[in-house]
Amino acid sequence: MDLDALASCFASPACLVTQTTSGLIIGMLLFLVAVGLTLIFGVLKVVNFSHGAFYMFGAYFAMTAYQLTGSFALAMLCGAVGTAILGLIFERAFMSRVYGADVLMQLLVCYAFVLIFDDVVRMIWGPEFKSMGMPAAFQVPPLFIAGGVVPPYYLLLIGVALAAAVVLGLGLARTKIGKVIRAAAHNPGMVSALGINTGLIYGGVFALGGLLAGLAGALAAPVRSLTPGMGFSVLIESFIVTVIGGMGSILGALIGALLIGLIRSFGSLGFPLYTEGLMYLFMVIVLVARPTGLFGKEAA
Amino acid sequence: MTELQAGEGAQVLKVPRIDARAQRYRDVLIALVAFIVLALLPMVFGSKQLLDFVVRCAAYGLFATSLNLLVGYTGMISFGHGMFFGLGAYGFGLMMQKTGVPIPVAFAATLAITFLVAAVIGAICVRLKEIYFAFVTLAFQMLIHSTILSWQSLTGGDQGLRGGIPRPPFLGIDLSRPMHLYIASCALLVIGLLLMRQIAQSPFGYTLRMIRDNPTRASFIGIDVWRAKLVIFVLAALFASTGGMIMALFVSGAYPEFAYWTISGEGIFINMLGGVTTFLGPMVGTALLLLLNDTVTRLTEYHGIVLGIVILFFAIGLRKGLMDFIVEWFVQRREGANG
Amino acid sequence: MLEIRSLSKSFGGVKATDNVSLDFADGSLTAVIGPNGAGKSTFFNLITGALRPDAGQILLNGVDMAGKTPPEIVRHGIGRAFQVASIFPSLTVEETMLAAVCADQRRAGVMHRRFPLAETRDRAEHAMELLGLANKRNRTAATLSHGDQKLLDIALALVLEPEVLLLDEPTAGMGTEERWRMIDKVRELWEKQKITVVFIEHDMDIVFKIAPKIVVLCYGRILATGTPDAIRSNDAVIEAYLGSEDRAGAVA
Repeated sequence: MDLDALASCFASPACLVTQTTSGLIIGMLLFLVAVGLTLIFGVLKVVNFSHGAFYMFGAYFAMTAYQLTGSFALAMLCGAVGTAILGLIFERAFMSRVYGADVLMQLLVCYAFVLIFDDVVRMIWGPEFKSMGMPAAFQVPPLFIAGGVVPPYYLLLIGVALAAAVVLGLGLARTKIGKVIRAAAHNPGMVSALGINTGLIYGGVFALGGLLAGLAGALAAPVRSLTPGMGFSVLIESFIVTVIGGMGSILGALIGALLIGLIRSFGSLGFPLYTEGLMYLFMVIVLVARPTGLFGKEAA
Repeated sequence: MTELQAGEGAQVLKVPRIDARAQRYRDVLIALVAFIVLALLPMVFGSKQLLDFVVRCAAYGLFATSLNLLVGYTGMISFGHGMFFGLGAYGFGLMMQKTGVPIPVAFAATLAITFLVAAVIGAICVRLKEIYFAFVTLAFQMLIHSTILSWQSLTGGDQGLRGGIPRPPFLGIDLSRPMHLYIASCALLVIGLLLMRQIAQSPFGYTLRMIRDNPTRASFIGIDVWRAKLVIFVLAALFASTGGMIMALFVSGAYPEFAYWTISGEGIFINMLGGVTTFLGPMVGTALLLLLNDTVTRLTEYHGIVLGIVILFFAIGLRKGLMDFIVEWFVQRREGANG
Repeated sequence: MLEIRSLSKSFGGVKATDNVSLDFADGSLTAVIGPNGAGKSTFFNLITGALRPDAGQILLNGVDMAGKTPPEIVRHGIGRAFQVASIFPSLTVEETMLAAVCADQRRAGVMHRRFPLAETRDRAEHAMELLGLANKRNRTAATLSHGDQKLLDIALALVLEPEVLLLDEPTAGMGTEERWRMIDKVRELWEKQKITVVFIEHDMDIVFKIAPKIVVLCYGRILATGTPDAIRSNDAVIEAYLGSEDRAGAVA
């Protein structure tokens, strides 16, 4: 424990800025993964245990696309769209077969794919740590805000993730498809009664979840090392995020993700060895106080 | 007795009754025979591989069967049950390395620690609805795993407990000798299974079945659902911890993988593989998974893919475990013959 | 004696139970009627502890049940059956009864003995015979007919030997003939067991024929209480509940 470091950081604007930005990028990446998890749960009542793999694939797809084309924008696109297609196939070919079955079967199918996907990545890209490297466009001197160091890429990352959150929020609130998705989350039977193809909605939600997680992976690729199994810790963290925010709540996912991001970033100063433990502890406190999460609906 | 014998048409002249006492004697007898067979096994097949296999079966079998008390009997899908396996291995290993107490004392003390930890974690988790329960137990598993990794001075971090676990002889039993360890593991397995069987067939076992089927109704006949769930959560943890201790004795150490989430995942899969509707399903599943693991690891380095495909076959193809499948097949055949 | 005193519960501003006070004398048989959404089920849920009242008292022999949990209230002697049969699908009829008696004898946590316990047999047997389920004892609950499942649900409440038995639409989802058989059963149980029975029923013919006392709920309030004759001729009831299309049949 190093509470002095934490206290002196709070006293220094430079340190505050640095830690807050790093907390924000952790938080925004987590949000992109968690929001897909929470959407899929909201609409399908399925916890996609293999969602972390989507994040992993997003990162690997982006790395390969970048190495082949040298274009950062194309890399992001490949990471997001490639993973969306993967999500669609995964849902249509496998998950759709276990919707009626109990939770155990759903967890097992996901568990199987966690094992399979990790090995597939190991086969294609190898077991060792990989790095995509910072794109040339961002290899510029960092910005200084109130004396704190902020790499420009961090700002881009936060901006893109924030834009995705806004588009998603508006899309769900304003567009027809968004309304259908929210209706499906509220009452699956009603949607099929209206003559809307639920299979299409379900596949679409998985694709959307894949898109967002893939985008998160792609955005993370330049600043994180890539390794098979990298998805699992992200999965656990985004699950913590959804539990804290409340399953099915998008606003909850955003707030939860930012809280976890800040806890991780400031916790690493005060409790360097126990940052993760801090996160779990926070979740436990929230759960004890509010079992359905901060923004979760009270179950009858 | 079958449906048909007792079906609608049957007269109520002679009511076939469940004889509770005879069942208990039968179970004890089966356990004794099983133990004797296991104990005599080395005389027939002396292969070390086989004995090692049985010891690993004992460790994972206790763990998986205790998980079935939660998953199969109570309907509580814990994705973090493996934390108690790890806790048992580390607790016992550390106790032996640091304090030098006799093995039975370390055994009892580890159970006591497991009891406390499980009671605290259980008190937080058992109120949660199924999917929340699954993931919050998983989060606790990760918490314990990350604690083990980061508390290097005590646990050795990612290297695990190294330097071997001292196994001083007690009461003429020397667990550093493979044969003694083998017999002790078999004894622990048989006793553990017998105790769990007793729990499953006791009034409490039926309380658990009621909670699995319909917790709301259970509370309206006066059952304190929360308390019953907490009790079985803690009891299952004790058996899982025992499995972990056997493992620590067997490998003479403890590794972070023992506390990693994949142990829980494998436990769930073992239950699936063997089937949750029969008491011994998880034991069958354990043997199958260990065989599968050993074979696959020998054949390919990508054993996740093979394992994943096997899981998919059971989850999407059969939609039930092997023992469930066999039992249903038998019932259908018998009904076919009768009708 | 079950006395309800100023019981109230609202959901987001809607008063589902609004200042209800009622007495149920020992050994009485009372029907609760009212249009859909009148708050009948809420009323039962409040008494049995499934919902927590906002205000008011539920006095069973002078002890207040308000705020107690369902298991506590059951142990005080208020049992209930559900509108949709609430049973244990994988247990047999006999196991269900035996396990319920175990729970009532505070033996649900016994681990050192085998199920079933000898001392639970007689009561289980008795309940099965009362409800006519004895010859289906080895059927799992899931395989029973709808009517038998409803009977099993009632048996589950009755085997606990409650003082007050609340039946939420015992005839729900049944055909006319089956309804009458079920309601005869309820009346028979009431006569034999000498317990207080309160039941919710939609079928007016049934209500007026068998219930000595009727409570009419409407929008969470008590519209009227009284004998079938009094209710039949109550203007408020006719106006608010029976409505024009039912009047001919119900009043006739």
